[in-house]
Amino acid sequence: MSYRAISENLMALGARSALLAALVIVFSTFALTAPSFLTTGNLQSLLVNNFTLLAVVAVAMTFAVASGGIDLSVGAAIDFASFAFVSLVLAGNPVWLALFAGLGAGALVGLFNALLISGVGLSPFLATLGTLFVGRSIQQLLTNGGNPIYLPQSGIPESFRALGHSTIVGIPLSLLAALALAAVAAFLLGQTRFGRVVIASGVQPDVVRYSGLPLRLYLGGAYILVGLTAAFAGLILTSTVTVYIPNSGNAFLLNAIGAAFIGTTIHPHGRPNVFGTILGVLLLAIVSNGLLLSGLNFYWQQVGTGVLIFLVLALSFATRKTQRG
Amino acid sequence: MNEFCGQPTTGASVLRMTGIVKTFGGARALDGAALEVGRGSVHGLVGQNGAGKSTLIKILAGLHQPDEGIIEICGTPQDRLTPKLAEALGIHFIHQDRLLPPSFSVGEALFLGDEPVYGGLQLLNRSGMRREAARLLKSYFDLELPDGALIADLTTAEKQIIQITRALIRKPKILVFDEPTAALVRREADILFGLIRRLAGEGVTILYISHYLREIEEICDAVTVLRNGRDVATLSLSDTSAAEIGQLMVAREAGDLFPPRHSAIGTDYLRVRDLALDRKFEPLSFTLRRGEILGLTGLLGSGAKDLMRVLFGLEAATSGEIVIGERKLRFDTPRQAARARIALVPEDRRRHGVALEMTVQENTTLANLGRFLRFGRLDPRAEENATQELIRKLQIKTSGPRALVRSLSGGNQQKVAIAKWLGRDTELYLLDEPTVGVDIGAKAEIYSLIADLAAQGAGIILLSSDLDELIGLADRVLVMFRGRITCELLSSHTTATEILAEATGAPERSRHVG
Amino acid sequence: MSVDAQNYAFVKRRRPKPSAKGRTRLAAAALRYCALLTFLAILVIFSTSAPFFLSIFNIGNILGQTAVTGVLAIGLTVVVIAGGPNVVTGGIDLSLAANMGLSAAVYASLLQMGYGDGSAALSALGTGLIIGAVNALAVAQIGIVPLLATLAVMNVVAGLELVLTENTVIPASSDLLTGLSSGALFGIPSLGYVLIGFSLVMGLIIQNTRFGLRLYAVGEFPEAARAAGIPVKAYVSASFLISGFCGGIAGILNTAYLSGSSTGSGEMLLPVVVTALLGSVFSRRLVPTIGGTLLSALFVGVLLNGFQLLNLSSTLVSGVQGVLILLTVSATTLIRRES
Repeated sequence: MSYRAISENLMALGARSALLAALVIVFSTFALTAPSFLTTGNLQSLLVNNFTLLAVVAVAMTFAVASGGIDLSVGAAIDFASFAFVSLVLAGNPVWLALFAGLGAGALVGLFNALLISGVGLSPFLATLGTLFVGRSIQQLLTNGGNPIYLPQSGIPESFRALGHSTIVGIPLSLLAALALAAVAAFLLGQTRFGRVVIASGVQPDVVRYSGLPLRLYLGGAYILVGLTAAFAGLILTSTVTVYIPNSGNAFLLNAIGAAFIGTTIHPHGRPNVFGTILGVLLLAIVSNGLLLSGLNFYWQQVGTGVLIFLVLALSFATRKTQRG
Repeated sequence: MNEFCGQPTTGASVLRMTGIVKTFGGARALDGAALEVGRGSVHGLVGQNGAGKSTLIKILAGLHQPDEGIIEICGTPQDRLTPKLAEALGIHFIHQDRLLPPSFSVGEALFLGDEPVYGGLQLLNRSGMRREAARLLKSYFDLELPDGALIADLTTAEKQIIQITRALIRKPKILVFDEPTAALVRREADILFGLIRRLAGEGVTILYISHYLREIEEICDAVTVLRNGRDVATLSLSDTSAAEIGQLMVAREAGDLFPPRHSAIGTDYLRVRDLALDRKFEPLSFTLRRGEILGLTGLLGSGAKDLMRVLFGLEAATSGEIVIGERKLRFDTPRQAARARIALVPEDRRRHGVALEMTVQENTTLANLGRFLRFGRLDPRAEENATQELIRKLQIKTSGPRALVRSLSGGNQQKVAIAKWLGRDTELYLLDEPTVGVDIGAKAEIYSLIADLAAQGAGIILLSSDLDELIGLADRVLVMFRGRITCELLSSHTTATEILAEATGAPERSRHVG
Repeated sequence: MSVDAQNYAFVKRRRPKPSAKGRTRLAAAALRYCALLTFLAILVIFSTSAPFFLSIFNIGNILGQTAVTGVLAIGLTVVVIAGGPNVVTGGIDLSLAANMGLSAAVYASLLQMGYGDGSAALSALGTGLIIGAVNALAVAQIGIVPLLATLAVMNVVAGLELVLTENTVIPASSDLLTGLSSGALFGIPSLGYVLIGFSLVMGLIIQNTRFGLRLYAVGEFPEAARAAGIPVKAYVSASFLISGFCGGIAGILNTAYLSGSSTGSGEMLLPVVVTALLGSVFSRRLVPTIGGTLLSALFVGVLLNGFQLLNLSSTLVSGVQGVLILLTVSATTLIRRES
């Protein structure tokens, strides 16, 4: 192999390892500098508080990004799922029905996006931006101005409380659920026909159409899936905090986008992928947890996370450009 | 008036390119081509698609660097031509892509880059732009556009006029026209020719590239014919004719490029009846039989390309019907066409034919994913085996199924684009310029593949502007001109020259043979 | 269309259809008129149902309230113009709201520390410029897609703002601030004049100078711009510098409006984005323009004000904005599809 080919390969390998390297560096730095970082209690807290929910939302986002777009309205899906669930439980319905309703609500948000993007042909950014706005307003209306809806402490069935609070072999159930979801998503995206076509749509949508595939149906399906997955996060969240707070889902948006794009750096061809997204979420979780522990001013944490995302993006795009030549 | 080159006399050569060699991937686009243009002359450049015309022009424009060869402008060799340098030297191009922002007004588009301004803030002199634009258009083209017209509102012809005017504003020394009349009516073409003659008289050198040989006859003083990357002749128009030029363009090259045709032609398979697409082609009818290779050709604007698009569902026909077997079908989307077992290998390989950033395997399985599903899961081993099989069968030169298609040469990429449809019981292959940008070795292999597909009973419609290819591969050739099928020729009974004449609008004589 | 209709006079058509281009123009004009009519209709509705709506005092109020959003939206418009219509790879600056927040925090902090108006204001503007420069570097030099680049920068800047303010409001007062917040001429507050003046200046630069024209070319058709010898990267960088500067200005204005720095600057982002994107519906060519953005900002300002006067919940406004953007963008997309 020529020198050029070898150095190109090394560059590529380097770009791909950036994420793993960052994880190792960040983990060891905090393990060494932050006093209580490496304790089971802390690691558990990290995983539950910083990792679980963001992981689910980021996985949802991965579908959108993989299809070549983005979904700014994941927060709306989370919130509507939460709202539907809480409302049904309060009205006396069985938990399983409420869970279904929650998932359905998220899927409906996804369907709305799908119609706008596949049906009308809007760009995903604009379509989901509009959905975000409309969702916000609807929630304000439904709650008379943004009042949270609480689940009564006494009336919550044990099964539901379990989702939010119990553990199996010491591992929180919510975490297991999130990981299971990620595994299913990885399978969908990486090993099914649906996933293959969605990814192709993100890489080169024209070829998909010219190969006789119904591009729009697949795109629409991807966005419905985003809504559905985000709804899961909403349900996990609600089971943990037992309250529906309007417009709280948006907090996850930016980090979810960041994680999904960070995750692309680990893929050989720079494509969005679930595994990479999970690593990205892990990175963000470790950083926020570690910064918190190191006694750093709470507000510097956000700066730290932001700078980190920026650097990883810069590295990813800069090396991608040189690969193209 | 024109002291360009510092030589007051016409006739001295203002542009000389010698020994130009350019290779892309594995294919030699230019193989020692030469071009010499006299000052103040109108010099034609002709050649079939793939002969190297556009590559030569791009090198002149500074968009590519030649691997070998010398470029001299007014006797001064130019080491590294760049677009900026070319423009500084006074070389301007009227390309086929209209590089005009759609939301701009006529005046803005004309003066972009060279805007008339006043004041320290560089305020646009809008009224000045408008007035000057109107004046220029009227004086050069006798064209008046409505006030406030935007580029997006203009017809293709008008856009081209804007582009030409843009160049004229900059007082060009050499003006290169690339297929200028493809979208013009007779009246507009006449105006263009009048303008060209005027400019030539003023000492501007014109390089005129066109497929319309009659126009070359009409307007040019001299013409250079390119074939297979080389110039085969440079003639003065007074010594030659359109017919002779055409013949020089298409002389067959040596070698058994085309596989022997064993016509195992079967029953009627596809019947097209009065199919029409508004403003692209008139109602036309033809029949295709199993195992038959039907050639299709026509210039830009003839409707041939649009016919292919309609057959694959990329556009819906406005009237008429497509009958396959017993069923009357309507294709509104490619999905329907694919379901009817029709395949398309598109002309724009890099955008529509293959996904460059995906692997060979992902590309070849894309149209056929259902075949690899085991309980809802794509079986990677089955995919890989199938891909390896295709690689072997089509002799695709690649490092493996997991190589990115980007890394393959043009010919091999094209094989991937075709491979996608194999193993799918495809009954009709629509091939749109299948060997453009493909090197000679891969060409032969693709031809052999096409013949095999026909031998196995598939019908093939081959749209090509490579006339040798049509004669060598096809059984019959339909020629289209300005939206109609003007004639149907048996490949065994016709010549490339005849096809070319029909395609470029020779006086209509309906020659139906057989 | 690659072929001119005139060529094919002989192609028999079923029935004469108006040319596609004519229909597109008509539809675009219709859209624009619908938007303007809606604006007028809302003005009429409010003036009849809400007392004092059309009073100078109230109009001045609207102008003043819209000043901050207007300045930000105009800054964003510049980026959108130079970046092009594709919203992921094209022009967008998500860091603007955070930019404003940080600039305001810098301004207020310096005032509190005893620095004079001059240096404090300059620092605020400088902060905005630096943020703009970082965006320019990320997008034009490193090549990060604008959506992601400005998203990351936004995160960082918002964090820095929190560091500075510790999530509290920093009160500030100075001569400049007092002048801006309470000054008024003919019943219209100074903030209103700032908005108008700023829009006029920006409109002049963007719509009527060589720089502005080239900015449009760069965003709409970079290849054509390059062919005309325009350095695309430089113009893209310039657009981010301008938006950054606008963020700085907005920071000062916002501090005047609130008499201190704010904690909710992030909230402003999406309304500003929607305002800028809606602006193109008010222009003749359906492209983003300064004037269109100003109208769009005023439109929202009128809505907010009207809702206030009528005691309606202002949260409905964001819903209206959402519906509006969906409608207008759908309409524009469908119109573009026709052609």
